Amino acid sequence: MSSETTPMRTQGAAADAKMKQLDKKFRVTGISTGLISGLTYGIYTTLVMIAGYYEPLAGAVGLLAAPFVTSGLNDLLAGIWLTIYNAKCGRLSEMGRSLKTFPGKMILLGALFGGPIANGAYLIGLALAGAYAIPISATCALFGALFSWIFLKQKPTKRVVAGMVLCVIGAIVINFVKPEGAENFTLGIICALVAAICWGLEGMISSYGGALLDTDVAVNIRELFSGIVDLFVIVPVIGAIPLLTGTIGAGIPLLWLAVAGLSAAVSFLCWYKSNATVGCAIGMSLNVTYAFWGVLFCVLFLGQELTATIVAGSVIIVCGAVLVTMNPLDLFKKGE
Amino acid sequence: MLLPARTAVLNYLYKVGKADINQIMEALKPDYGNERQFTRERYLDHVMSLEANGLLVKSGYGLDGDGELSIEFEINEDGRATVEKYIPAVFR
Repeated sequence: MSSETTPMRTQGAAADAKMKQLDKKFRVTGISTGLISGLTYGIYTTLVMIAGYYEPLAGAVGLLAAPFVTSGLNDLLAGIWLTIYNAKCGRLSEMGRSLKTFPGKMILLGALFGGPIANGAYLIGLALAGAYAIPISATCALFGALFSWIFLKQKPTKRVVAGMVLCVIGAIVINFVKPEGAENFTLGIICALVAAICWGLEGMISSYGGALLDTDVAVNIRELFSGIVDLFVIVPVIGAIPLLTGTIGAGIPLLWLAVAGLSAAVSFLCWYKSNATVGCAIGMSLNVTYAFWGVLFCVLFLGQELTATIVAGSVIIVCGAVLVTMNPLDLFKKGE
Repeated sequence: MLLPARTAVLNYLYKVGKADINQIMEALKPDYGNERQFTRERYLDHVMSLEANGLLVKSGYGLDGDGELSIEFEINEDGRATVEKYIPAVFR
């Protein structure tokens, strides 16, 4: 970030008061959208798991079919919700314009990692390890910082390293006691880690000029592209077309996925908005609270057992992720 | 072909150095003025977001003739580098 500053020109107390009010409004918007993004991603996680309890998704054969059908339908539906929203706001022409630019193409590349790969892996993780996969995936903040260090030469500070160590400790704590009856628990945790790595990569890739694009348009492109790649490339390759048509035909799971897609759309819209309003660091820190909400909703609505290790591990990972992305004291400094 | 609106805002500031929201919208009106997204609120969102991402700085503010807050934004070193890196020379 540039250290360049220019002395400000001001015009009296009335202008000062209005400026202060506007700054406060932007800050409140940024923080509230960041918190909403975390809450709605927790809701999305729960709804997508509910959809998976219905046939034909529940009885699907193989490890990949159900997660990729679910992920593809969810992302495509989220993309359709966002397209409706952007059309209503008169921003459809922005989609084509954005795709012609280099930052727009970077959004597509990032979407490949963050959509089909990460979301697919996240859903496999949820299927195999239940709510334990949620906080593990929140270590994406750690990987984002790590990739920025390796590829963008952004050396982490001591605070960031401390946050990274906390994330690792949290992940170890969660894995300390495997839940009974979860045969492929470790594989599920590894898949959640793959999701975190790919989301970290997506964050780094979208930093290549992503700030030049309207966030509402960027997130629309991301969700549509991810859904299309999932449903038109990956699902046919893994032989899951019968499962896809069966799920669409069954109706009820598709309805759950439509609501899950709406939650995901709101979550991404708010997350990108928060990043663009209060900066990526604070936006990402508020977004990872989805780990808390996701675990809470799974305990409340899906009968997930609440163990000491999942509670302690989730708290440690969220604290670590916040520390990686920002100095928590900054939240209080400018909040007056 | 037109640039995306937010990109066009930064590109305009690259050309003029500093401007307030009224000047930015006036300059972009011939190309974007007939779009439904061409609103003061949306363009304020563009400049404030570019500022949050460290590409612009607020260089001053005051009240305009209608008593509305008018904020002047100035492109900084990172903003100029971003334009030179990501916006084709033909638009600059």
